Amino acid sequence: MSVSEKHASTAANPSASNKQAPESTEKTHFGFQQVDKSAKASMVAEVFQSVAAKYDIMNDVMSLGIHRLWKRFTIDCSGARAGHKVLDLAGGTGDLTAKFSRIVGESGEVVLADINDAMLRVGRDKLRDKGIVSNVKYVQANAEALPFPDNSFDIITIAFGLRNVTDKDKALASMYRVLKPGGRLLVLEFSKPTSEVLNKVYDAYSFHLLPKIGELVAKDGDSYKYLAESIRMHPEQDVLKDMMQGAGFEQVTYHNLTGGIVALHRGFKF
Amino acid sequence: MLVGQLLSAGIELALNQLLQLDPDCQGRLKKLSGKQLQVSVNELPWSLLFTFSGQIDVSALERNEEQAAMESSADCHITLGLGTLSDLKDSSKISQLIQQGKLDLAGDINVAQGFSNLMKELDIDWEEQLSKYTGDVVAHQTFSSVKSFFTSAQQEIDKLAAQFSTHLTQPEAVAVKPVEVDDFCEQVNVLRSASDRLEARIDQLIASQQDDQ
Ligand SMILES: C[S@@+](CC[C@H](N)C(=O)[O-])C[C@H]1O[C@@H](n2cnc3c(N)ncnc32)[C@H](O)[C@@H]1O
Repeated sequence: MSVSEKHASTAANPSASNKQAPESTEKTHFGFQQVDKSAKASMVAEVFQSVAAKYDIMNDVMSLGIHRLWKRFTIDCSGARAGHKVLDLAGGTGDLTAKFSRIVGESGEVVLADINDAMLRVGRDKLRDKGIVSNVKYVQANAEALPFPDNSFDIITIAFGLRNVTDKDKALASMYRVLKPGGRLLVLEFSKPTSEVLNKVYDAYSFHLLPKIGELVAKDGDSYKYLAESIRMHPEQDVLKDMMQGAGFEQVTYHNLTGGIVALHRGFKF
Repeated sequence: MLVGQLLSAGIELALNQLLQLDPDCQGRLKKLSGKQLQVSVNELPWSLLFTFSGQIDVSALERNEEQAAMESSADCHITLGLGTLSDLKDSSKISQLIQQGKLDLAGDINVAQGFSNLMKELDIDWEEQLSKYTGDVVAHQTFSSVKSFFTSAQQEIDKLAAQFSTHLTQPEAVAVKPVEVDDFCEQVNVLRSASDRLEARIDQLIASQQDDQ
C-alpha cells in the first residue's frame, strides 16, 4: 500500500487506528508500519539517537523557525512563575527547559526528562553552554512509567513527544499521577490542519520535501520519513482531547496553531 | 495567534542584544533578578511579562481569565495607554504619571524603576560596535560625524522646543511674528546643512572604503 493510501484509510477511520485500542495488543504502529509493541520503543530510540546531533538545526529548517513560536506560546500558556516545579517531558534538547529555568528561578526546579540519553546529552551540553545549571535536573525516563512520586509538579509539558510514545493512554495517566492538584499539563503536538487546502500542501511538504531535506541536512531521510508518518498517525485534536479527559484531566481545551498543523492541548488536575 | 509571540520574541531579542552591548549593566540587571514586571498597554490585546534573570525573558499573555492567575504573580503590574509608554523612560516621572491617572501601578514600584533605570543607563559604546563591522578608522570617523550631527540637531530642536513652549504659555503670542518665522527658517537651514554635511561625509567614507577594497 502506498503512503497516501494508508493515510486515506487512517483518515476514514481515525479513532479506530489513532486510539490504538482496537488493534491487537501485541502490535502498534511505527509511522505507517505495524510493529510489535515491544519493538516500538527501541525503534523510536534509534530514530532520535540518529537525529540527536542535528536535531536543533533540522527543527529550524523544517519549520522555518516557527517551532520557536509554538514553544513560546506553550510557555506563555503555562502560568509558570518563580518557585514552580516543572517537568519538561520528552524534553529532548531542552528548548522549553531553558526558558522555564529562568522563569522559575532559584526557588523553583525544572526536570528535563527523556527516554533517550543521546538527546539528553545534547540538551545538557546546550543548557550548560547557556549557563543554565543550578535549577535543572536531567532524568532518563519513559513517559509511560514516570519515576516520580504522586503530586510532584506544578506544570508538565510534552512538546512533540507524545506521538512517539507507544502507549499514549498509559503515558497520560502517568502524567496525571505526578501532577499536583491545581497543576496543568500542556501537550504541544502536530495535529490536523483545519483546511483541506493546507492539508494537501502540508502532505506534499512532509511526505516529499521533508525526507529530502532530512537526507540533505542530516543525511538521514528514513528518520524524517518516520517523523512525517508518525505525525499522520497521531490522534487529531478532538481525539486527543477525549484521551486527556479519559485520563482524568479537566477543563481540557486546545488551540490550533498555524492552521492546525500544530495544536496545544491543555488540561488541569483538580 | 502567534502574533503576540512574534512581538515578544522581537522585544526579547532586541533587549538582550542591547544589554550585551553594555558590559556594566549586569550589576543593575542582577538587582532585578528573580523579579517579574507585567506591562499592560490598553490598546494591545496582550500584556507583556518581563522576567529578569541573567537576561530578560518576555512573554505575551493574552488577556483572558485563564491568564489572570499568572498576572497576579508578577511583582509589579503596570497598566497604561500607548501614549504614556514613552514617558516611562524617566523613572522619576512614574509617581507623577500615577497621580495624573495616566498609569496604574500595582505591586512593587522598585521593580518598575529598576527596569526603567536599567534601560536608561545603558551605556553602549556604539563606536566599538560599529568597528566590528567596518574597521576602527571608518568607525571612528563615521561615529564622530554622526555624533556632531546629533549634537547640533539636538541644539536646534531644543531651541525650537523652547520657543514653542513660550508660545503655549503666552496666549497673546499665538500669532507668529514675521521675525520669528525668519528665525525658524534660519534654524531649519542650519539643521539641513548639518544633515547635508553628514551625508557628504558618509558618501566620502563609503567611497574611500570602496577604494581600499
Ligand atoms: C521530537 S523530540 C522533541 C524534543 C523537544 N521537546 C522539542 O520540542 O524540541 C521527541 C523526543 O521524545 C522522546 N521520547 C520518545 N519516546 C519517549 C518516551 N516514551 N518517553 C519519554 N521520551 C520519549 C525522544 O527521545 C525525543 O527526544
